[in-house]
Amino acid sequence: MDQVVLTNIIYVAIFLAGALAFGLGPILIVYLLSPSSHTRQSAGRADQLIECGMEPIGSAWVRFGIVYYLYALIFLAFDVDVLFLFPVAVAYNDPSLGAWDFVEILIFVAILSLAVVYAWRKGVFTWEKKTYQRP
Amino acid sequence: MGEENVPTSVVQFAQLDTLLNLCRANSLWPMTFGLACCAIEMMCTGGSRFDISRFGAEVFRPSPRQSDVMIVAGTVNKKLELAVRTLYDQMPEPKWVIAMGNCAISGGPFKVKENYNVIEGVDKLFPVDVYIPGCPPRPEALLEGIMTLEEKITGKRRWPRIQAGC
Repeated sequence: MDQVVLTNIIYVAIFLAGALAFGLGPILIVYLLSPSSHTRQSAGRADQLIECGMEPIGSAWVRFGIVYYLYALIFLAFDVDVLFLFPVAVAYNDPSLGAWDFVEILIFVAILSLAVVYAWRKGVFTWEKKTYQRP
Repeated sequence: MGEENVPTSVVQFAQLDTLLNLCRANSLWPMTFGLACCAIEMMCTGGSRFDISRFGAEVFRPSPRQSDVMIVAGTVNKKLELAVRTLYDQMPEPKWVIAMGNCAISGGPFKVKENYNVIEGVDKLFPVDVYIPGCPPRPEALLEGIMTLEEKITGKRRWPRIQAGC
């Protein structure tokens, strides 16, 4: 094998070993040095997941309304609109841009807004519990 | 409380323990945990005027699993007893408890014959390291409590003790 390639492989190996040491080292140090055999108990409730002291009511695995999901999707549509307008805002002060460019931006935003209009027509913005049935 | 089974580490080495205890004493993370009016003084201690961060104890953690010292600042009712116990249980070792104010020490003004719902001292629930008297204690007293806890951990006091009347 070429001498240079071999040296590079050794470098990468040392780098990986260092990365592994940085990852596993703290875990090992904590295991050796921290008094982690047990923690003193007064009510035996160290395993309670909720960290506010109160007993949790019900399970965390509940069903959320699908309305939230749709709302998040629509937010994404708005979000991408704004995201694409940032470069426009940066370039807009250029004196070579004219009225036609403004119209182009309007067309662009209009096309993106169709997603919102579509959701609007589908009735996403009415906050109701929806039941979907298979056709 | 009687016998207490204090957890120990795998590696035990006196010089290293001294160093670790010095580190622990200078970064005591209290729990964000206020029960009554003493908590107002505790917030004041965390503010810029009294500045508990001079002693490395400004990192009030919102979770017991990240905190070192529990400052019981206020009255503990029977209804709250299990919550306070749970928080103590969830703190990892090494952990310390400061009983701040008369209510946390002994029930304070609620330690009367007619009392039916106030725990008369948190040391009835779990071991307490430092007691800070006062109703409520001033922020300086809480700082003194932190320094006393540091002294308990390291065996050395951070500042010389000030004699009364000097």
